[in-house]
Amino acid sequence: MNTDHDGTSRPDDAQVVVELTGVHKEFGDAKALDGLDLRIRAGEAVAVMGPSGCGKSTLLNMVAGLDRPTSGTVRVQGQDLGPLNENGLALFRRRHIGMIFQFFNLIDDLPALDNVALAAQLTGTTARQARRRALELLDELGVAHRKDVYPAALSGGERQRVAVARALMNRPALLLADEPTGALDSRSGEQVMDLLIDLNQIGQTLLIVTHDPALATRCAGRLVEMADGRVARERILEASS
Amino acid sequence: MKGVKGVKGVKGANGAVWRASRAAVKRRRVQTVVIGLVVFCSTTTVLLALAVISAARAPFDDAFAQQRGAHVVAAFDPAKASAEQLAATAHRPGVEAAAGPFDQAVVEIPTDWVGRPPGALTLVGRSDPAGPVDRVRLLGGRWAAGPGEVVVNEPFGGFSERFLNHPLPLGDGRQLTIVGFATSMSQSAGGWVTPEQAAALHPTGRQMLYRFSDASGEQRLTSAMGTVTEGLPKDALTNAQSYLVLKEAFSAGADAYLPLMTVFGVLGLVVAALIVGNVVSGAVVSGYRHIGVLKSIGFTPRQVVTVYLTMVSVPAVAGTVLGTAAGWAAAHPILQAAFSGITTGIAVIEPAGWLPAATLISVPLLVLLAALVPASRAHRLSAAQAISAGSAPRNGRGLKIQRRLGGTRLPRAVSLGLGQPFARPARTALTMSAIMLGVLTVTVTTGLGSTLTRLVDHADGRTHIKVLTAHFAGDATTEPRLTPAQTEAMLRATPGAERVSVRGLVQVGLVGYPQPAFADFYSGDDAVDTKRLQVVRGRPATGPNEIEAGPSFIRQHGLKLGDRLTLDLDGRHLTVTLVGEESEGNPRAFASNDATRAALTDDPHAVEYDVRLAEGADPEAYQRAVSAADPSLSPSVFAPDMGGPIVAVISFATIFTVLLSVVAALGVFNTLLLTIRERRRDLGMLKSIGMTPRQVVTMTLASVTWQGAVSAAIGVPAGILAHRLLVENVGSIVFPESAMDVWDVPLLIGLALAGVGIAVLGALVPARSAARLPIAEVLHNE
Ligand SMILES: Nc1ncnc2c1ncn2[C@@H]1O[C@H](COP(=O)(O)OP(=O)(O)OP(=O)(O)O)[C@@H](O)[C@H]1O
Ligand SMILES: [Mg+2]
Repeated sequence: MNTDHDGTSRPDDAQVVVELTGVHKEFGDAKALDGLDLRIRAGEAVAVMGPSGCGKSTLLNMVAGLDRPTSGTVRVQGQDLGPLNENGLALFRRRHIGMIFQFFNLIDDLPALDNVALAAQLTGTTARQARRRALELLDELGVAHRKDVYPAALSGGERQRVAVARALMNRPALLLADEPTGALDSRSGEQVMDLLIDLNQIGQTLLIVTHDPALATRCAGRLVEMADGRVARERILEASS
Repeated sequence: MKGVKGVKGVKGANGAVWRASRAAVKRRRVQTVVIGLVVFCSTTTVLLALAVISAARAPFDDAFAQQRGAHVVAAFDPAKASAEQLAATAHRPGVEAAAGPFDQAVVEIPTDWVGRPPGALTLVGRSDPAGPVDRVRLLGGRWAAGPGEVVVNEPFGGFSERFLNHPLPLGDGRQLTIVGFATSMSQSAGGWVTPEQAAALHPTGRQMLYRFSDASGEQRLTSAMGTVTEGLPKDALTNAQSYLVLKEAFSAGADAYLPLMTVFGVLGLVVAALIVGNVVSGAVVSGYRHIGVLKSIGFTPRQVVTVYLTMVSVPAVAGTVLGTAAGWAAAHPILQAAFSGITTGIAVIEPAGWLPAATLISVPLLVLLAALVPASRAHRLSAAQAISAGSAPRNGRGLKIQRRLGGTRLPRAVSLGLGQPFARPARTALTMSAIMLGVLTVTVTTGLGSTLTRLVDHADGRTHIKVLTAHFAGDATTEPRLTPAQTEAMLRATPGAERVSVRGLVQVGLVGYPQPAFADFYSGDDAVDTKRLQVVRGRPATGPNEIEAGPSFIRQHGLKLGDRLTLDLDGRHLTVTLVGEESEGNPRAFASNDATRAALTDDPHAVEYDVRLAEGADPEAYQRAVSAADPSLSPSVFAPDMGGPIVAVISFATIFTVLLSVVAALGVFNTLLLTIRERRRDLGMLKSIGMTPRQVVTMTLASVTWQGAVSAAIGVPAGILAHRLLVENVGSIVFPESAMDVWDVPLLIGLALAGVGIAVLGALVPARSAARLPIAEVLHNE
């Protein structure tokens, strides 16, 4: 598979943010990833699609250092994740990765603002500074007025925007999204898509897993289609909006 | 047709309920094990507690009933009441049964005999040990059948084979032979001989043994005796010994420690109930989402409750059965220890047969009750509510506290951990009360251990050598080489000795009382100090004709400080004054000094010497020198007498402390496990945004450490208070202030740390398992 001659919308000499080479992942007998190669450059927006069970979420977990490949190497921002221990991976995620999930994964006991601030506070940022930046982000994402509301009382779209704010808290090099609109009604889904497009416009590198062709075509510059744990096809997409 | 279908439907549903329960047990292995362990430890604790509480008095009653013990042992003056007159009293109203008259003679034993001090011995002539009243139990040997044969009463119930056929020399030069040992719960005699032999010993009394139809109190006994003696000359009755006095004496030893043991028992019950409740209700609460799913696929509320009760009962039943078995196995030796050194006679101290039944029924009931409350909530919960129970906003104040903590300067992992317990205040309260009671128990046990040790130990920190005479050490055949005066002089002259005191021991009669008493006479240096027992009321008996005694002696003889008492030794009478109360003591012994002894007898009756060695003296060398000077003496380094009940109390307390600490730690462990189960998704998320494993551990430990600290802050003072209340209210020991005030700063700090220790211990495993949670799975599955 030759992912180098893809001719992305970004210049070829841009920094490589993600580089997966020959990645295998097995769960017992099941092969979730079967020799996957993938390269993403800074500023790209890549969408991954494919049938259920083809290994999309597993791929994201590899990139985020949430799980380790059975074989093959994963490099993010030039760093090989293989040698890192649990602590190292945690610090790596803090610095370079932001994640959003289909079901938001917010902490129910904390209001929106503190959920966002949390990410920075883990690195030792003072509460006051963290909350200030969290408020800025919530403001940018249009949910500042909901800052004191607990997740249970937020709408799905609002929750996802809070989750995006949290993912962006530490200015990650890479934003990972696994079915970010999967649990949302179409209007909220649109809002989140617009948000992702805006982020990419200002240079945020994105890796989005989705079943939704609309999301893929609207947000991504490149579409990676997976089947049986490998990349089956790649397409350059026209920027549509 | 319809009926058959219905039955089939029910069967199918039961199958589903059972399958769901089995799956629930299997999937929650750790929780199942924890419930099982907690129930196990609690059951053991409860059974031991009940065993001790129930054992205190029943054994006397049982043994007494078995022997058809005499409610009153009466002695009459043979000059004033004839045998026929006395035999007739058996038919007086109120008399249920009577035995006698038997001739009763008092003989003087001039030397130590079968390990007892010299003194008066009451012999009664009986042709056999059976009869309508006071069926004496023969422990060994045989009943007296011929002249010169005597059966000795062994109040402690045991006897030594080697004393059979031993001679018993009497003061007048005559001699009896011991042919048997027997024990009478009625304490009707010091020994028994044939009626002919008794007649030959110049009897001074006639004994009658009565059982009355109503013997429920001292007053009833007195009035019954009034009826019995009606028509006899006024002073024909010389002595009447009530079984109520014996009964009190029997349980006096156990009574001393009973309050302590009861407190441990009650503590055990409370902690066990709390933790079982916590664990079981936690299992149900943490299963709400699961309950929602069951309901959404068509389980009826009742079936859901059944699933949960089944899930909890499997480990609970196993724990109850095993705990009962373990408690039952331990109860026997513990009771033996608790009652060692007590005049037990034939009373068998063993755990009551109903104990296993009690725990087998009550513990599962407790578990059921604990499960029922949350289960009934699950019953009412709608499926949708149950499914979303995990994500509903909780208690407002808890959230506010978490919010505020988030703004502090503390590392975020710490402040998150500190806030966690507020999310589930009820569970937190249960956990904290468990830790608190754990700490309280540790505190009370520690304090009690120190108190008891201080009570019996020398306070001077020096080595003491205890020197026993051969006779007192139980060796009647070795004759001393030195006289008591020479022995004392030798002990002083041997290098290393700094102070020497002497203890004389003799059995004396107390005029007006049926039972003789042991008199300890102390002399030599620093006589008061060496008695080891401290006088806690009044003053030490240092002057002539003064005595001091322990609380049980004083109570059982109906005395108060300042009262007079007449001693009788070999016919010589001496009136003494009770001037001091010792902290504890044998109900049949009092102490005095050499001057008092000299007024009563010329023989010092020395049995034991206490030698305080000079600093740096070699105890081995000193003991060798003493043995060389007189081989009949047995010297040993004094060790505080931690025998009998004291050891029992301390070991009992230790067992409870260990059990309760384990239960408390398991409670914490379980709470955290539940919390972590509930928070798996949160933890996964926190890790996905970069929380390190160490921060996860920090967070988890932070959440319990403060609970441990706060619990300790309450538990330690509560424990100190409980200790104080305990030692002040123990009936037959009066603790001196020095033994009660055992707390110092390092000890208190240690105890406070115990609380944090219990919490951290229980938290460690769940904390680490939380740190290791596979994030990828968690985030997806929840
Ligand atoms: N923790 C795991 N243990 C065992 N097998 C797993 C685990 N995670 C994933 N798998 C398996 O690996 C394969 C890929 O799973 P993955 O979650 O990556 O699929 P996916 O493409 O994200 O599917 P979907 O679109 O349904 O989310 C599947 O066959 C799945 O069963
Ligand atoms: Mg997936």
